[in-house]
Amino acid sequence: MLTDNTIENIKKALTKYPNKQSAAMDALRIVQEEAGYLTEDALLQVADMLDMPPPELNEVATFYTMYNKKPVGKHHIQVCTNVSCSLLGSEHIVEFLSRRLGIKKGETTLDKKFTLSEVECLGSCGTAPMMQINDDYYENLTDGKIEEILKGLK
Amino acid sequence: MATVKINGKEITVEDGTLILDAARQAGFEIPTFCYQARLSRLGSCRMCIIEIGGQKKLQPSCVTPVMHGMEVFTENETVKSARASMLEFLLANHPLDCPTCDKGGECELQDFVFKSGPRRSPFSESKRRFHDKDKILSPVIIKNHNRCIHCERCVRICDEVVGRTALGSIGRGAKIMETSFMDSTLDCDHCGNCIEVCPVGSWMSLPYRYKARTWDLKEIDTVCPYCATGCQFTIGARNNEIVRVKSKITTGINKETLCARGRFGYNFIQSEKRLKKPLLKKNGKLVESSWDEAISFIKQRFGAGKKTAGIASARHTNEELFVFQKLIRDVFKTNNIDLDSRFANKWVTSSAIEVLNLAAGGISIFDALKAEVIFVIGSAISNENPITDYLIRQTAVDRRKTLILAHPRRFKLNSSANISLRYKPGTEGEVIKGITDFIEKGVFHGNVVGDISQVGEKFKNAKNITMFLGADILRLDNGTNVVAEIVALKGLLKKAGKNIIIQPLFDRCNQRGARAMGIHPLFLPGLKKVKENGMDCGEILDAAKKGEIDSLYILGEDIVSMYPDAKFAKDALSNIKFKVVQDTFLTETAKTADVVIPGASYAEKDGTFTNQEGRVQRLRKVISPVGNSKDDLDILCSIGGFAYKSAKEVFDDIKKEVLGYKDINFDALDGNGALVKGHGAENQGSRVKGQGASEIASASPRNDTSSNPYLDEYPFLLITGNHLFHSGRLSQNDDVLIKLLAEPFVEISEEDAKELGLTDKENVKVKSSEYEAVLKLRVVKGSQKGVAFMPENFDSVSVNQFYKKGQGIARVKIEKQV
Repeated sequence: MLTDNTIENIKKALTKYPNKQSAAMDALRIVQEEAGYLTEDALLQVADMLDMPPPELNEVATFYTMYNKKPVGKHHIQVCTNVSCSLLGSEHIVEFLSRRLGIKKGETTLDKKFTLSEVECLGSCGTAPMMQINDDYYENLTDGKIEEILKGLK
Repeated sequence: MATVKINGKEITVEDGTLILDAARQAGFEIPTFCYQARLSRLGSCRMCIIEIGGQKKLQPSCVTPVMHGMEVFTENETVKSARASMLEFLLANHPLDCPTCDKGGECELQDFVFKSGPRRSPFSESKRRFHDKDKILSPVIIKNHNRCIHCERCVRICDEVVGRTALGSIGRGAKIMETSFMDSTLDCDHCGNCIEVCPVGSWMSLPYRYKARTWDLKEIDTVCPYCATGCQFTIGARNNEIVRVKSKITTGINKETLCARGRFGYNFIQSEKRLKKPLLKKNGKLVESSWDEAISFIKQRFGAGKKTAGIASARHTNEELFVFQKLIRDVFKTNNIDLDSRFANKWVTSSAIEVLNLAAGGISIFDALKAEVIFVIGSAISNENPITDYLIRQTAVDRRKTLILAHPRRFKLNSSANISLRYKPGTEGEVIKGITDFIEKGVFHGNVVGDISQVGEKFKNAKNITMFLGADILRLDNGTNVVAEIVALKGLLKKAGKNIIIQPLFDRCNQRGARAMGIHPLFLPGLKKVKENGMDCGEILDAAKKGEIDSLYILGEDIVSMYPDAKFAKDALSNIKFKVVQDTFLTETAKTADVVIPGASYAEKDGTFTNQEGRVQRLRKVISPVGNSKDDLDILCSIGGFAYKSAKEVFDDIKKEVLGYKDINFDALDGNGALVKGHGAENQGSRVKGQGASEIASASPRNDTSSNPYLDEYPFLLITGNHLFHSGRLSQNDDVLIKLLAEPFVEISEEDAKELGLTDKENVKVKSSEYEAVLKLRVVKGSQKGVAFMPENFDSVSVNQFYKKGQGIARVKIEKQV
């Protein structure tokens, strides 16, 4: 169930768009910001608010890797594995993180601190390989740099 | 016009024609997956790529229009190798489990690979694999994601044609899945059009699963026996057993589409419950008998000179109905013959025949849909005529057109409508009058929810207007008033120089044909007026109640279940000394009969149906009648002593008496059927003005809600009709359709539910002065307040028990079940 606050915020967002469906991405962002991830119920409720068939909203939600369909840890580590990053060793970075955190990609650590995901291009090819942790970019990654970053995360 | 050269062959086509269509016109085959004529263009599968002279890159021909002087190559080496590469990519992830796939033998991927695909693949990585076991998404639909090639035809047809948008994509890239919301159980129309358009074996029919290989099927083209849209489909049978129904992209007004009833409603044919032997009432019990005994018993008891009558169902073929009226009129010498037991009275039905101009020639629905304004009243069209709903939806996409829906209930097509009007059942006349008054005087009265003035403006500004009138109007006691208002509106619009088409929306396959065959107390075949008026169904039952009917022949009609007052119908029938029921199941009516004779289902006989447009289509025999049942025509001929040997011979006689059928060649009727011409009997039985006016007055409106003593106690007006998955009482015998909806329910508006403190899906008590029942509640946003709907398809709660004869529309109250 969406909270009253979420519903209020979605209603506010709706006023910014020419029609209800245009607000789909914004509405999903609002839900995720407040609940951490998108549940089936939340999608159905948002679809109802936007007069949108649920499968269509689900297309949006599952197309973008930025929307979480499962609960994520405190720090959501999203490693880009598209062409540029891949050429510069993103596969190794995923493997390194996986080893370092003791989880496979798509998983969350038992203490719910870290979630490791593989994502599509984040538009930072010039500074590949790169990853995004929650809302921040970390670029030109090396093993040492990653160690530093992880240490800084509490 | 543009002239293009395709593979060296010159062809001139309209500007804007797609290269694909131009090439096909020129006789070159281009393979496609994502392209489907009636769907939006996607251009994603790249199978149709061709080379255009002077352009370096190959272009998808399904999204590229021709240009004058263009040179196109569809069969050269570059194109061929590109095509093979595309197939190689598709096969990289395709499981190639053809030996166990239901689609094998008619699979587009299989065919194209066989024709132009690579014979080997260097791809050595493992294939994408979503699941081991196929996913059952509904009682009729099963999905294998591994086989999918992502053409998205299923997603598009569900959205653009069916209007449900029950499907979408999940994920992206190679791992994308075209499926239901969250890949979970579908709550949709279960029409199976996703199965039909799937080029591979990804969407499959669950009832047909592993039943046959396609090449072992005996396939016969025939016409759907449910509603009067008259869809063409192909029945596939194996070992005298029907295993599937499929539609064909090349034939019928429906082309590749069907609804759940048509596609999955064939299982009743082989139902255990089918009548397989004649039954005779002996010592108050129906016992099996031989055909000879049954027929001679009928001949003996059902004689001329006695007071007799006949009531037929519109599910029968033109030929059977023609012979039936011959039996009633020529042998039993009476005009007491009527169609269906649900309709108000003969004045309502005859005035409808007149306003719908059924005596004139048929009008193709595609011509009717060319109008700028399409107005539908009196039919929950999405449930009653699903394929007409599809056609209207696809037309209404055109922004120059206006779709206006007037009905108490909100249904699927409303989401495509420009204007929706809500009214209380019985006030259809007021709606029409409101429009007329607005156009004429600029003012209107009446309790209609919705903007009548906007409707009036649209009518005023249009040159061509098509009105669809639903069968609801035939059930109104004040139906003649509604018709009179329609005539007035039509006259007004005609005077203003507009072209008006009025088309019927009927809920039984051969309602239009039945009238033309003379199944009406006022009309002979060809809609010629009778000399002496007969009795309609209601009058026959009234007379029966008084003991004035000696014998009644009921052809496939379930009066006890359908006549609006079940108790009265049962009482009246029990007063008739001798009743014959000819049907496929032991209906409630058949249980009261003295002789029950087992007829044939639609797949077991030959003949023709005339759909609501006036299109005559061939029904073809696929299997022989089950058990000891017989072709209905044979039965009627042996009782009446007619010498007809086949449906064709009857049709030749029909051609002599029903002028509109004169030019139709029975043997030449193909997938598109033939529209009837005028019967030369227009404006004969003028029921609307002049002659018969007093009769109209006597059938005075009983919708005067203010003076009704029941109103306070029973605040809801009850309307009934077919559910999308059912048709009459026939479909409850179908073990697949019954899985889609097994229980009746009561539907009310959200406003009412809030007022009563009721929620969706809870059990409620529905009570009228006559009957009460506990039903599941369905709440619909946007329906008319004060109206309740129940499907009339179930014996478990027979809706007509709520009705009382003479009360008009039934009134009920709805309470919380405690």
